Formats: sequence, C-alpha cells, structure tokens
Amino acid sequence: MTAFWTLQALNTLQYAALLFLIAAGLSVSFGLMGFVNLAHGALYMLGAFIGISIAAHAGFWAALIAAPLAVGAIGGALYAGLLARVARQGPMPQVLVSFGLVFIAVELARIVWGDVPLGLDPPALLAGRVQVLGTVYPAYRLFVIALGAGLALALWLAVTRTGLGAGLRASVENPAMARAIGIDTERLFLWVFALGAGLAGLGGVVAAPIASATPGMAVSVLIPALIVTVIGGMGSIPGAALGALIVAGIEVFGAALWPRAGAVLIYAALAAALIWRPQGLLATGQGR
Amino acid sequence: MFRLDPMRIALMVLMLVGLEAAAIFGGFFGREIVTEIAILAILAISLDLAAGFGGMVSLGHGAIMGLGAYGYALAAQAGLPPWPAAALGVAAAGLGGGLIGAVAARMQGIFFIMATLAFGQMIWALSFTAGWLGGDNGLGGIDRPSLPFLGLTDPLSFASYAVGLLLLVFLLAAAILRSPFGRAYQAVHENPSRAAALGVAPLRIRAIGFAASSALAGVAGVLAAQHMQFISPAMMVWTASGEVLVVLILGGIGTLTGPIMGAAVFVGLKYWAAGWTDHWHLVIGILLIAVVMAGGRGLAGQAEDWWRRAWA
Amino acid sequence: MTHVLTAGLLAALALPSLALTAAAETKVGLLLPASGNYAALGQDIEDGFRMALTEAGRDDIAVIEADTEADPQTGLTMARKLIMQDRADVLVGVVSSAVLGAVRDTVHQAGVPLIVANAGNSDATGKDCSPFITRVSFSNDQLNRPMGEWMAAQGIETVYTLAPDYAAGQQMIGAFSAAFEAGGGKVLGGAFTPFGKTEDFGPYLAKAAASGAQALYVFYGGADAISFVKQYDSFGLSETMPLYSVGFLTAPLYLREQGEAATGVIGALHYLPSLDTPENEAFVTAYQVDHPGKLPSEYVVAGYDAGRLLLGALETGAEGREALATALPKVAYSGPRGPLEIDPATNNIVQNVYVFETVPGGEAGMTHKLLETIPAVRDAPNGCVMG
Repeated sequence: MTAFWTLQALNTLQYAALLFLIAAGLSVSFGLMGFVNLAHGALYMLGAFIGISIAAHAGFWAALIAAPLAVGAIGGALYAGLLARVARQGPMPQVLVSFGLVFIAVELARIVWGDVPLGLDPPALLAGRVQVLGTVYPAYRLFVIALGAGLALALWLAVTRTGLGAGLRASVENPAMARAIGIDTERLFLWVFALGAGLAGLGGVVAAPIASATPGMAVSVLIPALIVTVIGGMGSIPGAALGALIVAGIEVFGAALWPRAGAVLIYAALAAALIWRPQGLLATGQGR
Repeated sequence: MFRLDPMRIALMVLMLVGLEAAAIFGGFFGREIVTEIAILAILAISLDLAAGFGGMVSLGHGAIMGLGAYGYALAAQAGLPPWPAAALGVAAAGLGGGLIGAVAARMQGIFFIMATLAFGQMIWALSFTAGWLGGDNGLGGIDRPSLPFLGLTDPLSFASYAVGLLLLVFLLAAAILRSPFGRAYQAVHENPSRAAALGVAPLRIRAIGFAASSALAGVAGVLAAQHMQFISPAMMVWTASGEVLVVLILGGIGTLTGPIMGAAVFVGLKYWAAGWTDHWHLVIGILLIAVVMAGGRGLAGQAEDWWRRAWA
Repeated sequence: MTHVLTAGLLAALALPSLALTAAAETKVGLLLPASGNYAALGQDIEDGFRMALTEAGRDDIAVIEADTEADPQTGLTMARKLIMQDRADVLVGVVSSAVLGAVRDTVHQAGVPLIVANAGNSDATGKDCSPFITRVSFSNDQLNRPMGEWMAAQGIETVYTLAPDYAAGQQMIGAFSAAFEAGGGKVLGGAFTPFGKTEDFGPYLAKAAASGAQALYVFYGGADAISFVKQYDSFGLSETMPLYSVGFLTAPLYLREQGEAATGVIGALHYLPSLDTPENEAFVTAYQVDHPGKLPSEYVVAGYDAGRLLLGALETGAEGREALATALPKVAYSGPRGPLEIDPATNNIVQNVYVFETVPGGEAGMTHKLLETIPAVRDAPNGCVMG
C-alpha cells in the first residue's frame, strides 16, 4: 500500500510542476500589472500545438526549446501591440480583449491543426519507466517533475538575486516608486510578459505527451491556473509553486480518496481558502 | 449614480420597439432570436446591477440563473401551477445568490470573482452529475404559463412576453437603483469611506444588492426554462457566465441600457456569422477587440456619445 | 443599431430559404456540431451522409445545415428552426446525448422524423422512445452488454472500471457491469473521472492497479481516448492489467495519434474499417477517393447509413414527414458494417457487434484484428411503448 501512496505523491508533484509552469506567468503578470490575462490558457494551447508541429520535423528536444521561444515571441508581440494599451484601460476592457483573444486563438488552432486531438510521443530517452522509492514510475513524468522544480528554483533565484529581479520586485511592491528610481517599467513588463508566455508555451509542450492537444485546452486549463494564482497570491514565484502543490495535492488525493467529489473538491477548497483568507494565502503586491 | 435621463429612456424605447418589430416581421426564427436576446439581456441587466453598480463582478451568474430555471422546472414537475412555480424559481435564485453574496461580500476584485466562480462551479458540477436532475442530459417536458388573452404556445406571443419581461426587469432594476437603498448601494461601491462615514453597513448592503441581482438572474432562468421547455447544466458552466460578462461589457457596463444592446449584437452576430462560417467565434473575437480599440466604453457608451453630439 | 440588426436578421433568414425553393422536394435538416468539442464527429457524419446522397445521384434532396455546438440549448433552437422555419421533412444527426434529450419532445410533438446518427443514450430507444426517432448508430447498452458477456465468457473473473462522470459514462459502465456480473464475473471497483476536466489519469490508474483486478474496462472518447491509452501504456499497466473498452477508445479517429501504445487493447464496436466484406471494401475505397490516406470512422458509417436509410424510405415512394416516419424503420440492407435493420419495438438499430484487438499493421500503422462477431445484437424494449 505504501507503493500506492508513493505513486500518488509522485503524481501530485508531476501535476504541480505542470501547473506551476502555466500559473507562474499568469501570477507574475497579474501581480505586476494587475492584469488578469484570460488568454494565458491560449498561449499554453499554442505551445502544445506548435510543439507537436516542430517535433514532427525536428524531434521532441527541438520542440522543447523552440516552441516556448515561439510562444514567448507571440506573447511579447501581443503585449507590445495590444495588451500594453489595454492594461492601462482598467479591468473591463482587459476581460473583453482577453476573451476575444481566446476566441480567435481557438478558432485559428482549429483551422491550422484541425478538430481531431493530436498527441506527442515522449522522446525515446524518456519513454520507459524507472524504479523510484519502491515503485515504478514513467521516466517522462519524472522529467516533468525535475523540469518544474528546476525552473521554479531558477526563477526564484532570478527574482531574489539579480538586478532584473530587484526591479521586478520593486515594480510589484510600488510601481510609481520603481519608475521614480529609474526602472523602465514598460520594458520590464514586456520582458516579464514574454517570459510568462514562454513558460505557458513550455507547459503546453511538456503536457502534450501526457494530455493530448485540443483547442479546448485553452479554456480548460484556465480555471486551475487561476485557482493556483489566487491561492498562492499574485506576483510571487514561491506562491505560485505552493499554490500549484496545494491544487495538485487536492486533485490527486481527492481522486484517490473520494473520487465522486473530484469535480467539486477543488472549488470547495478555493471557496474555503477565500473565506479564510480573503486576500489570498500568500498575498504580495497590488493583489487587486 | 444611475440616472434615467430622457436619452436613456429614448434609447430603451427604441431598442424594445426594434426587438418587438423583429419579432413581428422576423418569421419563426426571428421570434426565437428575439426571445433569446431578451433572456440574455435580462441576465446581463442583473449582472450589471451587481458588477456595474456594485463593483461585484460575478462569474457565477450562469449558475444562479440555473437555480431559477431548475427551481421552476422542479416546482412545476411537483405539480405547482406555472406562476407560483415561477415565483419559486426566482426565490431560489435570489436565496442561493444571496447566500453566495453574503459569503463573498467582504472580498474585493479578483477574489470576489473567484469566489463566485467557485460557488457557481460547485452548483454546476453537482447538477451535472445528479441523476435525479437528469444529469448532463437535462430535464424536459417543462410547461409554459398562460396569460389572459395570450396563449404562450405561439412563438410571437412568447417573444412579446419575453420583451415585456425585459422591460419589467429594466424598470425594476432602475427603481432599485433610484431607491434610498440603491443610493446607499452605489455609494458603497463608488466611495466606501464616505459611505462608512454616513453609517452605512457596507457588507450587508453589498449582500442584499447581490441577492437582488440574483433574483433578476432567476427571472432570466425561469424565462429560459419556459422558452426552451428543457433545461440542462450547460447554462450553468462558468463559460456561460463569462459570456454574459462579455455581453455586458460589450454593451456598456453600468448603464442598464448597454446589456440590451450587447445581447442584441452578440446573439444577432452569432447567428449571422454562424450562417456562413463554422468559425463564427473568430468573428466575435475580432469584434470584441475592435470595440475596446475603439474606445472601450461599450456600445451603449458609443451610442450615448453619438446621441449627445447629435443634440448638442 | 437595432434597425440594422433587424434588417440583417431578416436578410440572413431570407437568403437560405430563397436558395432552397429550386426543385427540391425533400428537405433534410442536418443537426450536427460544426464547432465545439464534437466538431470532428459532426464533420465525419456529414461526410458519410453526403457520400450516400452522391452515390444515389439524386438531386431532389436539399440539405440544410445547422450547428448544434454540442450544446443542448443551441441544439434545440436549431431543431426548432429546421422544423418551423425551414419546414424540414426529416432531421439527421445529433452527436451528443444531451442534445438528443433536448430535441426529443420537440421532434416527437411536431411529428418530424429524426434519424439519430450518433447519440447513444439507451433511453432514447427505451423509455423515451418515439415513432419519430430512428437510430442508426448504436445504443450504449448495445455495445457494452455484449462486451460484458464476452469478457465473462473468456474467463475473466474481476475487473476495475473507469469512465467520465456524465450520463453516458454511467450508462455504459452500468450496462457493462450488469452483463459482466450476470455472466459470473465480479466488478471489484471503479471510478468516474470528472468530465471534460481530467487530463491526467495517473491518480486513477494507480487506483486501478491497486485494486488487484484482473482487467481494466473503460469508456473514453475524444482527446481523453488518446491521453488515456498513452498514459495507461506509460505506467506499464499493459503488462499486468489488460485493457478492455467500449471500442471508441481505439477507434480509427484516434488510432494514428495513439500509435503503438494502443497495442493489445480489446474493444467492441459496431463498425471496423478493416471488416473483410465486399460492401465494406467498396465503401472504404469510395471514401478514400475524397479522403486519401484516411480510414472511415464509425461516425462516417453512421452518417452514410443515415443517408442510406433515408434513400431507402424515399424509394418506397414515401413523401413528407408522416410517411417518412413510417417508412424509415422498415428499411433493411447490408452495408459497410454488415446486415442492419431497425427493431420495430424500439426503432433502434439491430446490428453486429465486433469484438476486436488493436494490433500493429495496416496503412495507419495500427489496425483492428477481428476476434469475434456477435451477430444481430438487439436491445430489450426497456420500457419503450411506441405511441
């Protein structure tokens, strides 16, 4: 029976890693710009589809590098061309524009990649299974855990140890002050947004060998990502990581212990968290 | 503060006459579309009451509307005549939404949105898997009420009934906003510290305001159940709530007239675009972005600007 | 604004009806999803239906398309439009059971024949049956019951079940479990996974493995079908716990994406592209003229048979809603999936169910090897009273 719980713990870590990749960008752009980017899920979807297309020609590893770059570039272009302008107009126009982007992205994906879901095979190196902690686990899923943990650590170090990170933290805490001391917040926002988009794109490619790619994933991923952001608090990398672990834990152990409640459990947890801490568990920044 | 100035009244009359004309001259499908617009507009007005005037943006209004629809259907199934059943449906939505509002009232911004999302999704998930409610296959065989002089089985009279209800809900929402309660409610949103200084209990006011909004959403739910004579959890999922929010912002939030315009354009555009492309979402998406790029005040805001310019 | 809109609406409504009045005698309303989750299924059914019409070379049949979006409300609105506005003589389609539930009363009361080309809710040809609803696809009972009996007869003693938590999933697993246990087997446990939300089956696969059951029985379709098969394979369960399913799991639509992960999966379905009959060979060849390199799915066949059923009814001289409704259930023939007829007691199709194993081979890399044909499977009336 311990093997069973080890397995579920690994499943939790694996799902949390994926959630972290998707939620990190959402959380930071939220904390930084007060911008709820509902189109974030569309970037995740594009990552999966672009990754599958690249992998068909150049293999998985090339897709793992190139697809996030492509999605990051798309995100940056969207920000520079459209979202920067909308970010200043307040939350309601943001909702309209990001919904509009979701509609457009989903239809474009249907036109380019069709209605039949697509899959992606893990690379040969990670196709097998490994013996860990007294149980057998798919190597690819271990890779996802390692990737998520590694990126979380790297992002945390970047935020706490680099000049860019200091500017970022200053901008989250007090944007006016950050501008006053000479931080180019516009350029910072652009880079952060592109990075968040790239992470979502990476999440898409990484998810594709586990969950197949469909246009609908642009919408279905949004809710868990938002819950992670709200539970973890906006604009904080450790918060996104903790939120991802909590949400994944609830989903996986809920499925194991109480399957019929699976669909309701996560919302009940969200409601409970909000009633207990109406400002989020680890609130920093504007948190509007 | 909400004002019911001559311009808004004229705009409102123009839209209702337009809808009724579309019902009279639009043939069968035109009448179905008018009814659909009226239902969506009522729901959007109810959301405007919460989001536009109370600052409580809800992603649970689809589910709250569903409470009204299921309340009506179950009461009618239990043998209640249509009108008491309708009252029960509205009460169920008002009560259920009021409970959500009471819990969420002390939350602001995104936290309020996420709380309504959480409760809405719980309602949806429970109804989706509840065998006794028909689960995702829904409930059919729902009766329509009858009005004196007006059988509601005919599509034209039903569309007219829906447009009449839309007018009623509009007037009701306007009356709420112009009442002393409505003034306090808007003051809590627009200037919380001043409202607090005046001795207003903000949490209670917000909760009551959300309950009133929910009851109006219940009217939309009852009307939808009577129209389709079939209900299913599909109307309660969060994307349905998101769609109403889009309709509201598209039309103009905080105007009460905007929701009607938004609903008419959204539904009209949907059927028009669906007539020539399977990718009609693409058309709507481009429109949403275009509206924001054009100024972002919604269609009603644009219309009011034009109106003022024409008369100034 | 509103006036422009009204004018636009009127124009939009007038155009299709003008185009239709030329020469058309029989109007068919195609009630299929062109957007949303089931769009691919809708496209396949339409392809099959149009294939049948083209084959017959008739130009007196007008087809009006309406997008149901797999949303019951929209489906019902569109059904009403086809019936009242377009005056359709017959409706064809309906992918999701929720849409079928929504349109059932309207169709029945209006007396318009509906040929169901997918939705499998057993109640539609059971307690909610109607003389105006004829189904040429399958019922959930019809596919799962034979599989339960067959698995029990193979000497499998215990299973664990998995399916999405919605009405169809519950019905499928219910029908399977009843038949499997009646045959002497035992269902050790099972889980229903949240519908449309579960992308990671890891937690459930771990439960299945821990149950100690001899075999796993599942129902999944769409993106879930691809994800499930690949995740099942990645956890190495194929070595310890063989996978049985309603055949949709490794249906032609998904097989290419599943690849070798689908090896060994056993299922039961009412059509396989690899069936070795002259009718099917001709059908596959004809299909591949317009769809090179692609095998027809069971959805294409259902659309095609819906067309054949309609043509058969028209050949008897039936005209108009009433006469077509009477003539449709009397049509019987041998098509790509074998002999088929409509059961007069329920208006559900009577057809062979094919138990198959998914094996490497064929043009798509993977193919279905026929293990056993269960002939002429017929549902019990289940409370159906034709009124």
